[in-house]
Amino acid sequence: MSRYTKEQVAKLADGKLDWDTTMRMLAMPKDNERFALYVEALQKKVSWRDKIVLPLGPHLYIAQNAKSKQWVTKCDCGHEFGDYRENWKLNAVVYVRDTEEAMTEVYPKLMAPDTAWQVYREYYCPSCGTMHDVEAPTPWYPVIHDFEPDIEAFYEEWVGLPVPEKAA
Amino acid sequence: MRRHLRTAIEKNGMETNMEVQTASRVEVMGIDAGGTMTDTFFVREDGRFVVGKAQSNPADESLAIFNSSEDALAHWARNVDQVYPELVTCVYSGTAMLNRVVQRKGLDVGLICNKGFEQVHSMGRAIQSYLGYALEDRIHLNTHRYDDPLVPLSRTRGVTERTDVQGEVVIPLREHEVRQATRELVEAGAQAIVICLLQSHKNEASEKRARDVCREELKALGVDLPVFASVDYYPSRKESHRMNTTVLEAYAAEPSRQTLKKVSDRFKKHGAKFDLRVMATHGGTISWKAKELARTIVSGPIGGVIGSKLLGETLGYENIACSDIGGTSFDMALITKGKFSIMSDPDMARLVLSLPLVAMDSVGAGAGSFVRIDPYSGGIKLGPDSAGYRVGTCWPESGLDTVSVSDCHVVLGYLNPDNFLGGAITLDVERARQHIKAQIADPLGLSVEDAAAGVIELLDLQLRDYLRANISAKGYNAADFVCFSYGGAGPVHTYGYTEGAGFKDVIVPAWAAGFSAFGCACADFEYRYDKSVDVAVPQHGSDDEKVAASQTIQAAWEELAAKVIEEFVINGFKPEDVILRPGYRMQYMGQLNDLEIDSPITGAATAADWDKMVEAYEETYSRVYASSARSPELGFSVTGAIMRGLVTVQKPSLPEDEEAGPTPPPEAHLGTRPFYRNKQWVDAVLWKMEALKPGNEITGPAIIESDATTFVVPNGFATRLDKHRLFHLREIQGK
Repeated sequence: MSRYTKEQVAKLADGKLDWDTTMRMLAMPKDNERFALYVEALQKKVSWRDKIVLPLGPHLYIAQNAKSKQWVTKCDCGHEFGDYRENWKLNAVVYVRDTEEAMTEVYPKLMAPDTAWQVYREYYCPSCGTMHDVEAPTPWYPVIHDFEPDIEAFYEEWVGLPVPEKAA
Repeated sequence: MRRHLRTAIEKNGMETNMEVQTASRVEVMGIDAGGTMTDTFFVREDGRFVVGKAQSNPADESLAIFNSSEDALAHWARNVDQVYPELVTCVYSGTAMLNRVVQRKGLDVGLICNKGFEQVHSMGRAIQSYLGYALEDRIHLNTHRYDDPLVPLSRTRGVTERTDVQGEVVIPLREHEVRQATRELVEAGAQAIVICLLQSHKNEASEKRARDVCREELKALGVDLPVFASVDYYPSRKESHRMNTTVLEAYAAEPSRQTLKKVSDRFKKHGAKFDLRVMATHGGTISWKAKELARTIVSGPIGGVIGSKLLGETLGYENIACSDIGGTSFDMALITKGKFSIMSDPDMARLVLSLPLVAMDSVGAGAGSFVRIDPYSGGIKLGPDSAGYRVGTCWPESGLDTVSVSDCHVVLGYLNPDNFLGGAITLDVERARQHIKAQIADPLGLSVEDAAAGVIELLDLQLRDYLRANISAKGYNAADFVCFSYGGAGPVHTYGYTEGAGFKDVIVPAWAAGFSAFGCACADFEYRYDKSVDVAVPQHGSDDEKVAASQTIQAAWEELAAKVIEEFVINGFKPEDVILRPGYRMQYMGQLNDLEIDSPITGAATAADWDKMVEAYEETYSRVYASSARSPELGFSVTGAIMRGLVTVQKPSLPEDEEAGPTPPPEAHLGTRPFYRNKQWVDAVLWKMEALKPGNEITGPAIIESDATTFVVPNGFATRLDKHRLFHLREIQGK
């Protein structure tokens, strides 16, 4: 079992860890403390004081509201998208690329999908404008709810940590 | 010889060493300059040898070689100034060029390729993203990663040209684009220019023209840069391989030539008269002045195979399984009917290359492999990483806290903690014990001894399975093979990985630790050039077809022979001194794998010559696979022409001592040490390897120690030292 320092995990969170160590992390069984160290590193990067319960993306988290103890989906900038069980995308700003013109902004002509078959939906934070996700579904498809994490099971059974307090 | 000795004495005024001086002269030197240690190996006329070790010095390899030589020669109470002048031959092998490539510290090369193919070099056939990985890492995409290309895109230029697969020029070379590219590459700071165009192995015209245009332009610019065209070096199919190999020649070989020149200069300074040779991937040695130096990129492990072949020839063994355990890997190779096989496009340093390489199989398990408990299966997991030169937690200064296989050896009494590397470092048994207890034994609910013994059994089992699988997968039977075991850690494990494998004999040379250096010194002075050809003749082809095929092959041989002879002429040999050995690669038409054949004819011209080549191929095919698998109805293709040229050189002679009977002399007896195996502690008898005499028999449990290696003979095994100082290990009844 390998062990890593807080500095190494912080660099991993920043995407600045050297390749040899990254490769070793990938190749070896995961170290038990990793999740706690990783969350700790992320906690230092955000400006707010709410406790991070689970990272969802490079700039998106499920966090425990310091006062109410409610679990909410939250952006780096502090913007809250609502209860963690709801699909946060429904509260985000969306930009849909459904014309050839919009597609050629991101791909060279003739190298983008036919928008009659596939569109891109980009979800942004209404406060800071960070892009949190992009979907590539058929045009009529409902907004995708990526996943509903079973956080209690993850804490208790997978990483062996106490579940953070949660308001009902 | 007398005269020679007198000169040496007069020169050095060392009358006090008269007695030593009267011994026979030193003829052969082998060098294995590794990443951490530089080994030297000296052989006298009478076959006696010494091994020297010194810390490697990447900044000045010649100094490490000098120190290592002094260390070795001290055993004979002689020094470099006395011995270098009497040496007849010296072979170097080392990892300097490999390191230069791995660390990307070569020259700033500029590359000219076909327009539209500028990215091909960086793409590395996609497989360069996972070459060198263990299987379990290879299957996960997120571990795949491209190393920086040897030539960045900023120094790559495409020129308009196209030659098709048949060798027909479809779009002629736009020469003004070559001039433009040359100017831009010079501007971009290129220190050498490589030119590699598509299908140039099939039709060299465009590439050679591009080369000449490039040179003209450089001349016009008044810039003196070397230009490397792939056809001049490696005219073989597979564009990425050819391009990489030619780039390597410019990138790493030229700086290495400077290193070798420095080594050679230091030899000269100390009176050496020999011409330094370098071990090459094809199993021969070449001069450091050779045009194609890229093929010296990997050489160390090959030495052992060459050494085994020479020993086999002397002792009359045709089939040998060569096995080499170092700290990080287990390398094996098979010699069948006195020949090792050659791979034509191997990968090295995570690059696909078109160099002939002595075929070897490697597994990343060695004496320094780390040992861990897999948290999911709860089983013991070895490697894939290893402690390397840091040995294990038993060496407190290592800074390690993960258990290695060596720790298990130390705890169980296999290794002498006070005489590791001749006492160079002292090992802490208790420290290793505590680490094994906490990391392995306690989690498994075992005693420290049983946990450590389990680790060793597991490693031995893995190596044995690997060795056996490699023999049977190639269609051979272990009972037809003699197993040679060498490498610093080899003799510790020999009994373990050969037990029950059914080898005809198991041999451990007393100089196991210096065996690779010895093997290099055994190699022929041999150049080898390869060229792709496309020849295909149906089973019952007409005489005209056969004559045409013979002529194509003959033309390729002549072209290659000219290159081989040119190399020898650079080293002052006359063309008539060179023994030429043509060869070819042949396959049944449409099959995927070709076989390398030593040609039964010296030149090809007639239909009868073609038939002889086919006959030799079918005979080899029956031997390698099975005669019933032959498929002559498909017809025959020749895919490559090969020309090897060699001149005779002095090789080390084997020691031959008088047999002294089965009882070891009392001075060889060093005492006993507790040794744990098969769930019990026994007292193993310790012997000093150098003091044992030919004919001596030793029955286990025993441990035979020397400075550089430890030979373990447990219960149920016995060994006998023969007159050549080779130990023969065998299993005995009643264990």
